[in-house]
Amino acid sequence: MKLLVCLKQILDPDVPARDFQIDPAAKAARRGGANLVTNIFCENAVETALQFREAATGEVKITALCYGESSAEDCLRKAMAMTVDEACLVERDGNTNPDAAAVGRVLAAAIRRLEQDGGPFDAVLVGRESGDWGVGQTGGLLAEELGRPALGFVESLQPGNGGVTLRRQTDVGIEVAEAEPPFLVTITNNEDNVPRIPKTRDVMMSYRKPLQKLSLADLELDSEEIRTGSSIFEVEEIFIPADEVECELAEGDTLEERVDQLAKRIHEVVASIG
Amino acid sequence: MFRVGGTVPLMDPTQATREVFWNIEYTWLVYVLMVPTLAVFGWGFWLKIRRWRAGQPAIRFDRPAERLQLFLRNAVGQGRTIKRRYAGVFHTLVYTGFIVLFLATTVVAIHHDTPLHIMKGHFYLIFQSLIVDIFGLFVLVGVALAAIRRWISKPKLLVYTDEASWILVTIFVMALTGFMIEGWRIAVTDDPWAAWSPIGNLFALASDPLMSDAAMQTGHVAIWWFHLVVAFGWIAWVPFSKMSHVFTAPLNIFTANLDGYGGSLKTIDFEAAERFGINHLGDFTWKDLLDFDACTECGRCTDVCPANTVGKSLSPRDIILDLQGLMHKRGDEFLGAVDGDGGNGSGELLPIIDQKTAVSPEALFACTTCAACMEACPVHIEQMPKIVDARRYLVMEEADFPEGMMDMMNSLESRQHPFAGTQFSRVDWTEGLDIDVMAEMDDPHEAEVLMWVGCGGALVERNRNTVRATAKLLQKAGVKFAILGREESCTGDPARRVGNEFLFEMLAKGNVETMQRYGVRKVVTSCPHCFNSFRNEYPHFGGRYEVYHHTQFLDQLLESGRLDGHDAADGSNGSSTITFHDPCYLGRHNGEYEAPRNLLAKVGGARQVEMQRSRNTSFCCGGGGGMAFVDEPPDQRVNQERAQEAVDTGADVVAVGCPFCATMLDDGVNARRGDREVKVKDVAELLWDAVGEPGQAAP
Ligand code: SF4
Ligand code: SF4
Repeated sequence: MKLLVCLKQILDPDVPARDFQIDPAAKAARRGGANLVTNIFCENAVETALQFREAATGEVKITALCYGESSAEDCLRKAMAMTVDEACLVERDGNTNPDAAAVGRVLAAAIRRLEQDGGPFDAVLVGRESGDWGVGQTGGLLAEELGRPALGFVESLQPGNGGVTLRRQTDVGIEVAEAEPPFLVTITNNEDNVPRIPKTRDVMMSYRKPLQKLSLADLELDSEEIRTGSSIFEVEEIFIPADEVECELAEGDTLEERVDQLAKRIHEVVASIG
Repeated sequence: MFRVGGTVPLMDPTQATREVFWNIEYTWLVYVLMVPTLAVFGWGFWLKIRRWRAGQPAIRFDRPAERLQLFLRNAVGQGRTIKRRYAGVFHTLVYTGFIVLFLATTVVAIHHDTPLHIMKGHFYLIFQSLIVDIFGLFVLVGVALAAIRRWISKPKLLVYTDEASWILVTIFVMALTGFMIEGWRIAVTDDPWAAWSPIGNLFALASDPLMSDAAMQTGHVAIWWFHLVVAFGWIAWVPFSKMSHVFTAPLNIFTANLDGYGGSLKTIDFEAAERFGINHLGDFTWKDLLDFDACTECGRCTDVCPANTVGKSLSPRDIILDLQGLMHKRGDEFLGAVDGDGGNGSGELLPIIDQKTAVSPEALFACTTCAACMEACPVHIEQMPKIVDARRYLVMEEADFPEGMMDMMNSLESRQHPFAGTQFSRVDWTEGLDIDVMAEMDDPHEAEVLMWVGCGGALVERNRNTVRATAKLLQKAGVKFAILGREESCTGDPARRVGNEFLFEMLAKGNVETMQRYGVRKVVTSCPHCFNSFRNEYPHFGGRYEVYHHTQFLDQLLESGRLDGHDAADGSNGSSTITFHDPCYLGRHNGEYEAPRNLLAKVGGARQVEMQRSRNTSFCCGGGGGMAFVDEPPDQRVNQERAQEAVDTGADVVAVGCPFCATMLDDGVNARRGDREVKVKDVAELLWDAVGEPGQAAP
């Protein structure tokens, strides 16, 4: 079987509040001193794929794919250190924040190219959403582009009779599904797909493994069109919500008075918020 | 009182001697028996040496003068052994007794088997008779004291084996029978020099009324041979028992690590290494293997181990003994593996990390790398580096470690600091202080020193006050300093201690490169872990700096008058009592105990009290070795154990010199102080409180 996992490199969501800055003109976050990391749900997806490979009896090959800046090579190297077999980077030339539809188109083109060379992928795994924008649309739009059935919020893949058994989180509980490849899933986290820490030898080996690089031109995509042509939404303004704290002390001479005063103020405040 | 020889005219002391084989026939048998005895003895040690030689190389015969000094102090002089009073006393008695008795036997051999008849005259009387008798008594008393401890008081630190008991019994029997044969010889021969052998003579006097001369003579022959057989048997047994420490311990002390505990971890050649870390005896150096054979089972290491003290499964003594056992029992397989035919004949290497032994992952990951075990060990065994070696295997080959350490390592990898989720950046603490950042300076060389802030200082709320105080003190003293700001990365200490040498190396190389760019030569830091890395570990990666802990640097500033200590002595803190907690990585690892105490002495006349365990026997705060990132079970918290000790001194301020100690002891003291007001403060904070400008009391 062949699995493909899509990765996204994002600004470290754990960046200290004061380091997080916004460029209002570009309508995007400024990198500043922050680090770049692999989006956590994408890492959950890698881990889910690796666990599938470990549980499967036959041979399973895992490919990692990323559409990003050249710095995103780090994410792919890390995936290879986690023992993903192959990696491919589609270089994003200057398009700082492509929307999900554009990303879906690029990834679909790259997947078709990889399939041309190495045969079809049975399953495509995409992180549920990314930690920077949190739009959560890439998986669905990619499935649309590829013309494959998709299922969201999947937490595990297990080899089933003939196909693949999926567990997905729903509002009412866990849903178990049997899937016939090819298909696409978006992966969410649970306590079992916490990304593993790679072994040191695998980290070292990851630098020796080949990493395929493709440009938009290689995929016969027009980068200008990708940048502008498929916008499914428009960013009007981006700002850091002001966190204002007003402190008021309940007055009164006795405890009872203070409690009464407090209760009164709570009513007033609640009423004013509506 | 004493029995004096009857034939007075012959009492010329220059002629005094005794017959060597008095009353003994077939003396040739002694020589015959000696052959197998020495053969077994030699074979036993040959087996040991063969095993050691199978280890990896280590340079431990360099710097002979320093080694000799250490040898004289701690092997010959028993410097560490005598630190525990009871054991020190009995061991000194037995040890000195053995040396004297061995010399006496040598004298007999020379006298009898060579033309040099030295055993006569005053030498015979004073040394061979009187001194030997006294030291023989030492052995008896020493063994008796040891037996009382082993069989009656039974302290927890000992290992209770039959072997250990038999050793006491046989030594006691040898000494006692020695006195018996001496006494009967004196009695039967009416030895004119009997008074010079007081213990033997006592025996003679006691036997005289009870036994006839003939009976004594027969008894003498029987006991003489019995004594000889026991002694020879014992000698042959030495290399196979813990008595081998008589030879292995001095050798181990001579070949000890001379670089201090702070520099005791090995580097790894990642390109060449077959395995990272150690999970197989053959990957240890010969010195590590010698360590296993040098252990005296005294238990001091485990007794002082903080993890063991709070009830965790870690016991450095048992780690050493289990590995020793593995090396002995599986010796041939081990050698086989080393020779290349695979551990147990199947090509598999025997693992040393084993859930069922003391070398379990759980125990290994409880170590705070405090080095208390190494400091306590009378024979200089290096327990902690072996623990780190095994952790390296688990972390780098198996990716198997506690959860808290995983988050720490993830954060180190992607953010170059271990504090996942911190709300601070590396420069937030400088707000309002006007501190130069090297990258923003026209000429970074203008900075006299680099103030290395450290992750624990910059990113943990509680410690930002410490680095602010340090910076303000430097400013007040007019020191031209700068920081690296956002370019600072973790030194890699936590990664190295938990066993992720690869990550450590990456971080270290990165920092060395950054510092090279700015031509950094002098570094001052308020984190002893960073201090240790710079001082002992970065030189391996080409980073050579003059490194100061902030307490050392501030102490120098006060000494030289650059920082005015005048205000400090105004008695403003006179009401407070301070106790200083020695950080492991400043004290034991790097030998600095005075600088922080000197500073505290200047803190407004406050009174200093010491905790029971202080200076080189200081008890870890529980935060070293990556343990600051692990949630300890509530009933097994090292920091609370230490905090209790601090609280028990009655001090109202617990002074610290390390950001990790500060957070660990803050938590601990809050849990244990009860209704009392006890504060944990860094030495720099206290000093700033004392010498800071009026109106700037709180930095
Ligand atoms: S270094 Fe400290 S914690 Fe580790 S084994 Fe030795 S005494 Fe115990
Ligand atoms: S390792 Fe050292 S301190 Fe520990 S039991 Fe052995 S001899 Fe004693």
